Amino acid sequence: MLMAMTTAIGINASVLDSVRFDARLGYALGGTMPTHVGKEIRGINSFIPGFNFTVAAEGTLPLAPHWAIHSGLRYELGSMDVDSRVKNYDIEVVRGDESLKGIFNGNVRIKTTQRRITLPIQAQYDFNRDLSLRGGFFMGWLTNRKFWGWAYDGYLREGTPVGPKIEMGTEPGDRGDFDFDKNMRHMQWGIDVGADWRFSRHWGAFVELTYGLSGLFKSDFHSVQTLRPIYGSIGVTYSINLKNMFKKKTN
Amino acid sequence: MGHNYISHISPLAVLAMLAMTVLNTSCFGDEPDYCEADIETATLHVSDPAAFFFQPTDSLQTVFSTDSVITFAVRSDADVTSLSPVFTLSPGASIEPASGSTHDFSQGAVIYTVTSEDRKWQRHYRVSVVPTMITVADTLCYDFEHFELETATQRYYMWHNVLPDGSLGNDWATANAGFRISMGSAQPMDYPTTPLVDGYDGAGVCLTTRDTGPFGRMANKRLAAGNMFLGTFDIRIAMSDHLHATRFGIPFTSKPERFTGYYTFEPGATVQDFYGNPIASRTDSASVYAVFYRNHDAQGNEVVLYGDNVLSSDLLVAVANMGYVAPTTQWTPWDVKFEYREEIDEQLLASRGYSLAIVFSSSASGGDFIGAIGSRLCVDKVRLICSHEE
Repeated sequence: MLMAMTTAIGINASVLDSVRFDARLGYALGGTMPTHVGKEIRGINSFIPGFNFTVAAEGTLPLAPHWAIHSGLRYELGSMDVDSRVKNYDIEVVRGDESLKGIFNGNVRIKTTQRRITLPIQAQYDFNRDLSLRGGFFMGWLTNRKFWGWAYDGYLREGTPVGPKIEMGTEPGDRGDFDFDKNMRHMQWGIDVGADWRFSRHWGAFVELTYGLSGLFKSDFHSVQTLRPIYGSIGVTYSINLKNMFKKKTN
Repeated sequence: MGHNYISHISPLAVLAMLAMTVLNTSCFGDEPDYCEADIETATLHVSDPAAFFFQPTDSLQTVFSTDSVITFAVRSDADVTSLSPVFTLSPGASIEPASGSTHDFSQGAVIYTVTSEDRKWQRHYRVSVVPTMITVADTLCYDFEHFELETATQRYYMWHNVLPDGSLGNDWATANAGFRISMGSAQPMDYPTTPLVDGYDGAGVCLTTRDTGPFGRMANKRLAAGNMFLGTFDIRIAMSDHLHATRFGIPFTSKPERFTGYYTFEPGATVQDFYGNPIASRTDSASVYAVFYRNHDAQGNEVVLYGDNVLSSDLLVAVANMGYVAPTTQWTPWDVKFEYREEIDEQLLASRGYSLAIVFSSSASGGDFIGAIGSRLCVDKVRLICSHEE
């Protein structure tokens, strides 16, 4: 992709020379979360972030003094297991042609895993040789998506808060299971900001925040409140500069 | 597992997690107000309970979420002109007129309105205290002529029995409300229990074992036997504890001797087990029985029988069980004697200390979700023939 981009700009030795490539390895925190924690969510019983890592190959192309364009490809693996306590929580569970909706009071366990290939395109501002800030947007494609869980230890008021009260137990069959894999979007997009700090010739560190604007689910899906993929990552970078590589070789 | 995760997370990650936890706890909004508006229990305190109630436990009633009528059946000579029922409500709710306020129930039901804490929802309850004559009937007739769509949802049928004074009672129950949880799209005639317009004599009732669809499969509750029984159905635990959702029995003040009626029964094509696998060797069977039992245990607690003990409880006094229900497409009479296990206590009988349950099911093992989809039991012109004590 980066190659295509550089081709589009026109292969110019001096431009290409100045491209800085880096390999990144990051650990992400976060996952899918509501944009604001609604007052229906009364507490988190447990939160287990999965093994969420990012590997990326990215490049930076200087365009003007202090300014550059930054892009690349990332492979992100994210998972989350959150167990929360809810009150007056609107829930609709759809299965085949049947749906059950109402107001739930009790506990909701949500597990999700996603594998995503992401293309970020960011403008980069270099404060100096060591420190830069980046901002832009990303497009992502999910290669693997799972979202499931259960409503348990509580009760549903079917339809409205004055509808029939239906208790949900803890065990499979007694609780309200849900599985929303197929309702998840394949394509995600959003905004992406980051900062890089290069502390040695090749090594650096980065922080990154990706904020999904597209939502986790397709727009016709209303079983759970809008959730967005939001990740904060920290990690290390190993950079090489084509010009330096070239110089090394000629020397 | 969680441990391992934590130990592998870098200190920075732990810091970030802490920050998130703090963020979470600090940005939870104010606790939302409760939006429910239920009476959960109703209690009548009177100075001489023994002279007022048939049974001491009659003073407290647990009110189901689906109930909007609360009736205290009291002794026929009880003074109901100045009573102060006390209610417990769902959290945050308020009631008008107030809980504990005094009313004259001899003029009929008093309407109470419950409003939710968030003031957005209201429910109306008809509370009545009815002096009740103990009637000793010769024969009780159940003809299934009185049925209607359930008021709130209009999705399924419910039935009324004819009381001695000609008014309509709510003694018959079905699990149709439970079927609606799994099959919200079903039409009224697709439910397990449906009216049969052309029965043996006028309308009858038809019980059909139904597929519970995708939700049923998810919950390993793949079928719903058609059932009908004297008692109540507790939708609250239909999902979490289904065998206890069918509460068999109503207080009964006559001594039943024989249980008769007319039926047809056609077993469905293939019996399936709990996991939905076919059991080729088996033909589905139906249930037709009536039980008579003491409705308080030795400690004086009120008792109803459930799906798991209706034929085995120590409190059973008499059982009239048709046993094998032979398949037939012709209306076929049955006439089963109540087999008594102990003498009837007349005083207990007169103070509503016994309950009677009639139970029909299109799949006898439906409670364990074993049966054949399509098994169909129709019944009509049911009679309870009672003995006449002097």
